[in-house]
Amino acid sequence: MLTLLEVQAAIAFEQPGLRATEIDGKIVVEGTFVVTAGSAVCDPAGPLARYAVRIELTHAYPRIEPRVFETGGRIKRDPDHHINGDGDCCVTVWENWLATAADTGIAAYLGGPLREYFLGQFWFEKTGSWPFGERAHGMEGMEEAYADALGIANRRKDILYYLRILRLPRPRGHWPCPCGSTRRLRDCHDTDLWSMHHRIPPHLARAMLVRLQPRKGELFKAGF
Amino acid sequence: MTVHDKRLAGSHDDILEAIAAALDIPPGKFEEARQRYEALGGWLDRPESTLADLDPAISPHGSFLLGTVTRPLTDADEYDVDLVCRVNGSKAALTQKQLKDAVGHEVALYARARNMAHPEERRRCWTLNYAEGAQFHMDVLPALPDAQRYQAQLRAKGFGILAADGDLSGHAIAITDNQRSDYAVISDDWLQSNPYGYAAWFRSRMRVRLTEAKRSFAERERISASVGEIPDYKVRTPLQQAIQLLKRHRDCMFAEDGEHKPISIIITTLAAHAYNEEASLSAALQSILMNMDRYIEERDGIAWVSNPVNPAENFADKWPEEPCKRDNFFRWLAQARQDFAQYLRASPYDTIPDELERRLGPALVKRALNSVMPDDGAIGAPALLLGGGHDAELERARHAVDAIQSSGSQSRPWVR
Repeated sequence: MLTLLEVQAAIAFEQPGLRATEIDGKIVVEGTFVVTAGSAVCDPAGPLARYAVRIELTHAYPRIEPRVFETGGRIKRDPDHHINGDGDCCVTVWENWLATAADTGIAAYLGGPLREYFLGQFWFEKTGSWPFGERAHGMEGMEEAYADALGIANRRKDILYYLRILRLPRPRGHWPCPCGSTRRLRDCHDTDLWSMHHRIPPHLARAMLVRLQPRKGELFKAGF
Repeated sequence: MTVHDKRLAGSHDDILEAIAAALDIPPGKFEEARQRYEALGGWLDRPESTLADLDPAISPHGSFLLGTVTRPLTDADEYDVDLVCRVNGSKAALTQKQLKDAVGHEVALYARARNMAHPEERRRCWTLNYAEGAQFHMDVLPALPDAQRYQAQLRAKGFGILAADGDLSGHAIAITDNQRSDYAVISDDWLQSNPYGYAAWFRSRMRVRLTEAKRSFAERERISASVGEIPDYKVRTPLQQAIQLLKRHRDCMFAEDGEHKPISIIITTLAAHAYNEEASLSAALQSILMNMDRYIEERDGIAWVSNPVNPAENFADKWPEEPCKRDNFFRWLAQARQDFAQYLRASPYDTIPDELERRLGPALVKRALNSVMPDDGAIGAPALLLGGGHDAELERARHAVDAIQSSGSQSRPWVR
């Protein structure tokens, strides 16, 4: 469970322009987010850019994704800038990061996806392109990110079937292998599935499935 | 001085080092203090001295020995030079009072011979005040060697490894305390202190950088002495400089409440624990500020800052009876983190944030900056030397992007 103290420790030195407080059970971080040029303690020229932000966290972090709002109006409010009209920043596909990051603590989030998002905004401001690429908008981008996290081709049917297998405490050996060989899982890619299961544990697979909003029957048809 | 005479700053470290240097005792003042305490030592050991048969020796302890002396807050204040006057007496033959009086007698004769004020008696030491221009006073702590008893007590408390380490526990001393009931009677139970063991521990926390700093010093000064021959006081490591800056920040923050400010021994001990031989002052400050509070233990619900050479001693022993001292420590630490981080993480090197400048002393900061900035480079001027502008910014951003791409950890924005 994320605590206010952990958040305060994470920003204490790295983001001295931010302040964290607890409001109505939520941890709210407000102030100026500095985008540094490197990971060294200090850069002689100072930070690359500054963004006024409000970050809303719950104690259930990282299970529940933080909401980040750019409050200074520096970023133009349109989908092509990966920001919604209310300043809500579309930082990254959350579950993709959870599945691929070695550390998902709050400090890693601030120094990872959030720094990359604002560095990307700065780069886009200057060049009109995204330095790390960008995801398609909406569901399409989410599927793309989940396929990347799973390490499979981006086909919705396959993504759903893999996630259906992974949401269980243990992959069912008698189910058909998702590779399409028609063999049973235990006789085919059992080891690979276990390794994937380790990376994407059941609670994360369930969260991904929920966000993909499978249509009625779609989930059960997947893989069979 | 012209711009050609200066070694101009080009980084945060250069600026912080210049401030630390401005905080340090000037070499001339240090030398003057050293000559004076050596003269006092010579006086105590002269043939006519009543202490001569006890082989008295004077040596510094505290920040003077550790190399963490900081300039007094105002010119009206003085450097506090802490000295141990160690005599080879025995507790079986001397009371605390006899030792204190004997040392006091000789210090008083010394003062009279030099037309100085009579030394003032304090609870554990004698204070010798010099003329106004000297800007320092000396606290002379009478002491007897007491390593055997110290080591026996360490062993009894389960710290056998410390007791077996001659550097850390073999130079412990017994000191006097005129508030104790046994002050004037023969007793084996004197207060103990271990300033040289502490100094050995402190040195061990920066051994690599100390050696490196001495090697650089020898090269810079073109002297052929080996590293071992160069005295510690000739150089400063990032740990020592960081402690100087932190003590100064503390002094300015608690200028109106000196009685309840975090004490130097707590800051020094926690900083030395948190220091990991970082090569630069900025990295040392980051490491220290982020980690020093982790070395505050909790024993039976009591905050405990262990004396590293006597873990049974709590440097924070006043915190339970005066909780504001504990609160002030954490308030100071939070402020120091904030102030130094605002500079290091959120400012160009040539722009000291107002808050940090205020808490290090504007006059001192200005003097330090003048010594390393071009003469026209006022505080807060834009980073002209860095070649700012669109291209430079983009180039820096490109390096940042490349670094992230090569680390493999990248996330892509999308739209919900």
